Amino acid sequence: MNCQEWEERVALHAAGDAGTEEGAEIERHIAGCAECQVVWSELKQSLEWLREAHQEPIAPAHYAAVRARVIAQLEMERTPWWRQIWVYGLGIAAVAVAMVVAMRPHSQAPPSAAMKPPAVERVADAGQGAGSRPGGLPHKEVGRRKRLPHQQAETILVKLETDNPDVVIYWIAEKKGD
Amino acid sequence: MNVLAVLEMAAPVERPDEAARAIAAAKAGDLAAFEGLMRQHERLVLATAIRLLGKLEDAQDASQEVFLRLYRNLGKIEAVQNVPGWLYRVTVNVCHDMTRKRPAPVAMEAVPELADLGADPQQSASQAERRRALQMSLRFLSEKERTAMVLRDLEGLSTGEVAQVLGSSEATVRSQISKARIKVRAFMERYFRSNI
Repeated sequence: MNCQEWEERVALHAAGDAGTEEGAEIERHIAGCAECQVVWSELKQSLEWLREAHQEPIAPAHYAAVRARVIAQLEMERTPWWRQIWVYGLGIAAVAVAMVVAMRPHSQAPPSAAMKPPAVERVADAGQGAGSRPGGLPHKEVGRRKRLPHQQAETILVKLETDNPDVVIYWIAEKKGD
Repeated sequence: MNVLAVLEMAAPVERPDEAARAIAAAKAGDLAAFEGLMRQHERLVLATAIRLLGKLEDAQDASQEVFLRLYRNLGKIEAVQNVPGWLYRVTVNVCHDMTRKRPAPVAMEAVPELADLGADPQQSASQAERRRALQMSLRFLSEKERTAMVLRDLEGLSTGEVAQVLGSSEATVRSQISKARIKVRAFMERYFRSNI
């Protein structure tokens, strides 16, 4: 048996994993083999350093982070469906309202002649000639737009996203006038 | 030494009746009791995962998965003494699953280039550098060699206990840890050249 073949046995014995008899045999070989003495001491040294390197304590915060994640996950899984249903109910109701509004026919009739934007009312002094006023100042024509009685409302749809990706709340409002 | 006795030693000391009560309460859905159970075994799980995966963030993900599996399988654990052995087994499985999703380990031939990272050989032989190199050395082992070495040489289980955790024979484990030790020594020799 050459030293290459002894190496595995020496490695096994380096941490006391060879049996008593095998261990004694390995030690006898090491005692008479300079090459295996080097391998033996290097193996023991590298094992000692390996253990030292991995003895660094883990910060308590790292353990706490794992615990918190596990407990949060378990609490989420344990929450009964009926305690979450209001969230889903609200979401479904909001979607239903949004759909009703979206599908509603335009009930407002097209603007009739009476609802047409009024002509600009001219404010002018009939008795005076255009462009002249008693004070001699130049006359100005003032345009005044009357507010429509049934001005068409603008629908605003606000989409609210919640923490739960399955729940989206739609808020529908009507914006009247400017 | 009795296998279970050693496995029990790996966990922080707690009276068996207290541990049994904690398990019973956790089985009944008491999350506070389960948190106590996690505290009792968290070192075992997180330290083993760090040694197998080499990265804290990955090890925390693995630990989370291990404890979730523990909670879901509490009913299958019959005795308190079985918990550490079960945790070692599941930790190894979860870490292996995570390792398989990551790129293959670096070949041993890449070691000389790594050695070049330390500019000064004397400086590179410092304790911190040595620690880093030794932590890195486990990455060059095969999955089975690394697991066997971590459980035997770092976690302190016997070859019989390692075989039980891995579901293989003791002869196979002895061969794996022997090869792993030779590779780590070779790594250190390459890494530090004449400094070892």
